[in-house]
Amino acid sequence: MLGLRISRYNKNGICERQNLALSFPLTKLYNHNYRDLLFGHGMTSYSVAFEPSGKQNYIEVGKTVFEAAQSMGVELKTLCGGRQICGKCKVKFEEGFFPKFGIYSKREHLSPPREGELRYLGQAAIADGYRLSCAATILGDLVIFVPEESRAIKEVLAKTATAKPVLLKPAIRNCYVELPPPSLGDTRSDWERLSEELARNFNLIALDIDYYAMRSLSNALRSGDWKVTVTTWTEHHVIKVKPGLVERSFGLAIDIGTTTLAAYLCDLSTGQIIATRSVLNPQVSYGEDIISRITYVTDSLDGLNQLNNIIMETLNSMVFNLASEAGITAEDIDEATVVGNTAMHHIFLKLDPQYLGRSPFTSTIRHSLDIKARDIGFKINPVANVHVMPIEASFVGADNVAAIISEEPYNQDEMVLIIDIGTNGELVLGNRQRLISASCATGPAFEGANINFGMRASSGAIEKIAINPKTYDVRFKVIGDVYWSHRMPRLKACGICGSGIIDAVAEMLHAKIIKPSGTFNKNIPSPRLLCDREEPEFVIAWPYETTLDQEITISQGDVRAVQLAKGALLAGAKILMKRMNIERLDKVILAGAFGLHIDKEKAMAIGLFPNLKLSQVYSVGNAAGEGARLALLNVDKRSEAAEIARRVEYVELSTDPSFTEEFVKAMTFPTPKNN
Amino acid sequence: MDDLQQIADNLIKGRATEVKELIQATLDAGISPKDILNKGLIPGMDVVGDKFGKKEIWLAEVLLSARAMQAAMSLLGPILAASGVKPIAKVALGTVEGDIHEIGKNLVGAMLRGGGFEVIDLGIDVAPEKFVDVVKQGVSIIGMSSLVSTSMASMKTTIEALEKAGLRKQVKVMVGGAIVTQTYADKIGADGYAPNAASAVNKAKELLGLSSLS
Repeated sequence: MLGLRISRYNKNGICERQNLALSFPLTKLYNHNYRDLLFGHGMTSYSVAFEPSGKQNYIEVGKTVFEAAQSMGVELKTLCGGRQICGKCKVKFEEGFFPKFGIYSKREHLSPPREGELRYLGQAAIADGYRLSCAATILGDLVIFVPEESRAIKEVLAKTATAKPVLLKPAIRNCYVELPPPSLGDTRSDWERLSEELARNFNLIALDIDYYAMRSLSNALRSGDWKVTVTTWTEHHVIKVKPGLVERSFGLAIDIGTTTLAAYLCDLSTGQIIATRSVLNPQVSYGEDIISRITYVTDSLDGLNQLNNIIMETLNSMVFNLASEAGITAEDIDEATVVGNTAMHHIFLKLDPQYLGRSPFTSTIRHSLDIKARDIGFKINPVANVHVMPIEASFVGADNVAAIISEEPYNQDEMVLIIDIGTNGELVLGNRQRLISASCATGPAFEGANINFGMRASSGAIEKIAINPKTYDVRFKVIGDVYWSHRMPRLKACGICGSGIIDAVAEMLHAKIIKPSGTFNKNIPSPRLLCDREEPEFVIAWPYETTLDQEITISQGDVRAVQLAKGALLAGAKILMKRMNIERLDKVILAGAFGLHIDKEKAMAIGLFPNLKLSQVYSVGNAAGEGARLALLNVDKRSEAAEIARRVEYVELSTDPSFTEEFVKAMTFPTPKNN
Repeated sequence: MDDLQQIADNLIKGRATEVKELIQATLDAGISPKDILNKGLIPGMDVVGDKFGKKEIWLAEVLLSARAMQAAMSLLGPILAASGVKPIAKVALGTVEGDIHEIGKNLVGAMLRGGGFEVIDLGIDVAPEKFVDVVKQGVSIIGMSSLVSTSMASMKTTIEALEKAGLRKQVKVMVGGAIVTQTYADKIGADGYAPNAASAVNKAKELLGLSSLS
């Protein structure tokens, strides 16, 4: 029982749910110290959190980090089983205060490095905070980051772009020229010689050359024997001169999500995606949602620089990996497009985000930006242009603009509702006549936060659930396993992710374990219904099916958290429909990684969006990332984005007079159909 | 008496239209507005608060009751004032500057009205000066709500503004909202904190030295 209580307190649960936590992501600023309460005296334990899984628990002093990870279901790679002889279980401790966990993580909170660690990691890595998890013992509160290479099973972060056909019209153009060499009779400067040739052959007039490119110009011309490839940006700016004929050029589309970063490396000459990568946004250590990130920036001394640095570091390492995968170098990337919600956008640009978080919610800029990679420490071609897409309003960012240019509701007669469910939910409603948008504070419930056993979509998370309405028997499937729970699964469950939560609620509703009001039916004759707890709970996985040595359940509070989140989304959709003066929709598009994973039928069963035929609901995956790719490959898409950002009318939902009424209605589940 | 019980029952069920109709009917039947308030609405809201505190009902249901209470008071409030019935105290509520979330604040308002208080609703995004002004007009308590950490500091600013205006001692300050805690309330020098709308009524009574229920 003790273990159960701890994990609850630690997972943003009870203390918040008692409050009137309404239409905003819940942030946990003031952590209570439950340690004394739970452990009494004489036994010292420390709070340890792992990223990127976000798991947190109390661990006895003297345990190794590896043991802590095992006890919490954080799977680390190991060949030797924690005997300090394989060097695979490398982790990095984070330094500083982490408001999300209430942890002050310090170097002294781990035992000093041992000799074996030096051998496997080297002095420099140890100085950077890397340790072997099986050698380092816990002496204080800690936040530990598990690098990708040390994770036993990789994260499932489906921010893949479902590539659409696109007309190629990139801003980058390669021009191959052969120049007459200089002589005493022709002493034009190298630049004059080149620019005159470009004007003559390619009709490129009024060209200029970037200072960095200029510095390598003379040598490039001579080493190429006066045959060079000139890379221009928007046909008026030379950004690179390379000897010989170079046919391919590369660009990068980046989507900075609150939780996930996605990058697509594209061949600008063919439009193809040649490598894709998505990783967890490292800023999650500083808070799950944008409000807590903004608060971090406002409340800490160097917060903006810190958050900006870790995002740039991560992007640079992603670029490095993408380039190696494609057999090129990062410097071969000549342009990048960037999208993200407004807070991520501001932090990426080192613009102070604090005014986004307070009424009247103003951003520093709204229009798109073209800046040099070198000015923001982005390690691609330093001369490369970074095109940052425009934003609509403080809570409807460049990611939404990108989703719109990807789905093009403005070219359709049908009335389309685009629902982009990420850490925040954004809605766009309209067609070629008119477009309106809104931001719904769904909170991160659909990403597993505020749910007792919630977790992100990674290995071991229950992603699918089926409940027999007669026997109340439960079957589930975890990520990383092909078998359902009744067929000898390979992996045990360690939590429930967003799609699993939707499944659970829909199935519980169908089996009448919960009523349409969301209240538990305490008369269900099943040992899975636990009524002796603080609040009713329904068992999804028995202790032997989990890595936690306890049941994984869905509680009354979890159902309420889903009701709040889906209520915000549905109320938002209803208000937009009212503003648009329409009764029904022709089409619903679910965008975002979450949209790709959820079962549309189950989502409809819990009333996540207005009622319509299942065949009218589409999941399109990461539409924002796709929009960034389209803008990378076709400059006309950038003008479209600029126009859309101006044209979309933003609706502030929380001040709409009918919001409370719609919200109350929307929190109720639809009455289940009889089977 | 049966009519008053019916008013309470419909209030508990959150039926705004019925509550309003019943009040009109009882008024027409000659029952005093004071009795309608004290023996119908107040006991009704008391049940709502109690059930909410015990988690027997949840937010969606409480919001419906709150809406019914609001409708009831829109009808009864002016009549009570005209007939000289005094509220137990005046409370001014507002969502602090920088924040626009009002559901929680409205719920507290309905509960306080149901507890016999007169509630002045200052709305959302309320600047410290507005709180100062309302204190000058004479209220016993101000209640501040904040839902997000980005605007929570406005609570502190408002208390400082009251101090600067020399009004801090003549008013009790209550704070609440999803992210606000007792620790924070203590830190900024608020007089009271309530974790939810139901307990806000008792806290308000306690601050004024009135006998609290239970």
